Amino acid sequence: MKTYETLKVTQEGQVLTVRLHRPESKNAINMRMVYDLMDLVDVVTDASDVSVVVFRGSNGCFTSGIDLKDFSLEKPPDIYGLQKWENMCRQVEKLNKFTVAAVEGECIGGGVQLVLLCDARIAEKKAVFQLNEVKLGFLPGMAVFRLAKYVGLGRAKNLILTGRRLKAEEALQWGLLDTVSEAVSFEDCVHTMVHRLLPFHPEALELSRRLLNECYAVEYEDFIGRFLAAQHRAINSEAFRQLIVEASKPKSAAKALVGQEGR
Amino acid sequence: MTGTEKFPRSSGVRILSVGTANPPRKYTQQEVLDLYREKDWKIRSIFLGGHIETRHLYLPEPNNGTMPDETPQELIEKHLRGSLEIGPQAIEECLEPLGLAPYDIDYLCCISTTGFLCPGLSAHLVKAMGFRENVQRADILGMGCNAGLNGLQAAAHFAHAYPGKRALLVCIEICSAAYVYNRTLNTAVVNSLFGDGAAAVLLSTDHGDGALAPRIVDFESHIIPQAIRAMRFDLEDNKWSFYLDRDIPYVIGLNVRKPVARLLGRHQLKIRHIKHWLVHSGGKKVIDAIAYNLGITRHDLRHTISILRHYGNLSSASFLFSYKELCREQVVARGDLGVAVTMGPGTTIETALLEW
Repeated sequence: MKTYETLKVTQEGQVLTVRLHRPESKNAINMRMVYDLMDLVDVVTDASDVSVVVFRGSNGCFTSGIDLKDFSLEKPPDIYGLQKWENMCRQVEKLNKFTVAAVEGECIGGGVQLVLLCDARIAEKKAVFQLNEVKLGFLPGMAVFRLAKYVGLGRAKNLILTGRRLKAEEALQWGLLDTVSEAVSFEDCVHTMVHRLLPFHPEALELSRRLLNECYAVEYEDFIGRFLAAQHRAINSEAFRQLIVEASKPKSAAKALVGQEGR
Repeated sequence: MTGTEKFPRSSGVRILSVGTANPPRKYTQQEVLDLYREKDWKIRSIFLGGHIETRHLYLPEPNNGTMPDETPQELIEKHLRGSLEIGPQAIEECLEPLGLAPYDIDYLCCISTTGFLCPGLSAHLVKAMGFRENVQRADILGMGCNAGLNGLQAAAHFAHAYPGKRALLVCIEICSAAYVYNRTLNTAVVNSLFGDGAAAVLLSTDHGDGALAPRIVDFESHIIPQAIRAMRFDLEDNKWSFYLDRDIPYVIGLNVRKPVARLLGRHQLKIRHIKHWLVHSGGKKVIDAIAYNLGITRHDLRHTISILRHYGNLSSASFLFSYKELCREQVVARGDLGVAVTMGPGTTIETALLEW
């Protein structure tokens, strides 16, 4: 895997861990990091030996949010850098891998936005989430599009409009997080969780995720057609054929049940 | 030509202009049902499925409140009459911005599936519009909705072989000349889906003022012979009647990645590098199937969906209507890549790669 100025990337088996890494600024998100993440997504998309991508911070902190040092008073701020950030976010959201956000410590602004992109979201107990943009006078990116779908409109308003800090336990109750663990057992928790995901079928993952992401804005009559198109692709996959082969063997039903319990 | 490419890499053939035309009369789905006094709720629900709002059609005038049954002879005449109304309009709209006239065209390729004529449509267009007496011609008949790209292949090869010469591709489909009203569900599907329209594009290596115009980079074809009977013309009451198998959207969905992957693969491209998609407006189901199999969005397919909604399935002309919508948006930038996908009987999937 390539090396980046603002990211630390390590691979262990099929699991790629991407750490936001700018120790001088608590991993603040600058344009360099946006470009690095864009490039990473491009490379990872084609990496057939990667199944899971875990996004993490470093030095006990996920990120302190956007790096305002990137803006200059010399010229009027333009929207294109922020548009690049949103394009990058969309690519992460659509990545053909299982994506996991594993949060320690502060997760501010753009950090929360990254968490919202991921298929699985876990944190250690002391992690704190905050969308402080509105409080500061700008907008929390497309969290205005994504957050309410996780937590409902009321809670989304509460978090975005007041900019209050949300503790991991509460984020878990809200459904923003899947799991919260003690700080001491966090590494184990991440490891267990990630390996529980494997193996999975990337096509079925991508199709289901796309339908879930689309499901809030579509009428049933339109959605059913999209579902059938997606399901048709899934049941024509090699994976599904194997299921049928297995099912046609004697005693396969009993075996399948045992297999599931084992997980 | 190197490797597996289907079009010379060095070629500078570009699509320089596009024109479209439709019959003057536009009908909502409800109006068509009313004209034919359709009461069957199944047929009504096929028409009112929601993905098509209006279509331009050559429908006969009602006689004492009932729609006359058009004879095979009348349908053939309607095809020619309609073709010679909207075909020339599309051609004029295509040539006029370039300051060209039919006389300046060196190669004329005519596509139609909705009527069989001898002499062919191209001969009628020469007579009606004043093309040169030595214009080279080809008529492509009966290839169906994918045929626009088959014609583009022929026209592009001509334009490549004769640098500076001008090839005109015209797709003219009078689908209402292939309607059979016999109150079966099969004909209802066809009668509710297809609309009348014509589209023309001009191809040449002579890029005049250097305006933004897509270069034809490559083509890739795919045919699924096992599904040869899935879309076809049958004879019903001595009239051509189009038959569409209900599985066809799914068959196309499963296969569409093959030609697209071959087309992009040999240029080291991925689907995410493609900025613009010009997909045939086949119908709601096949558009969904393509979206979820290629992993492209409703936004990528906005022209395809919009053309279906406002014109119906215009057979071979559809994707050129989408192309015109894209040009109108003025969102294309130099260097952008686009892929055209058309699908039809055979069962066929045709693709082309464009670079602006």
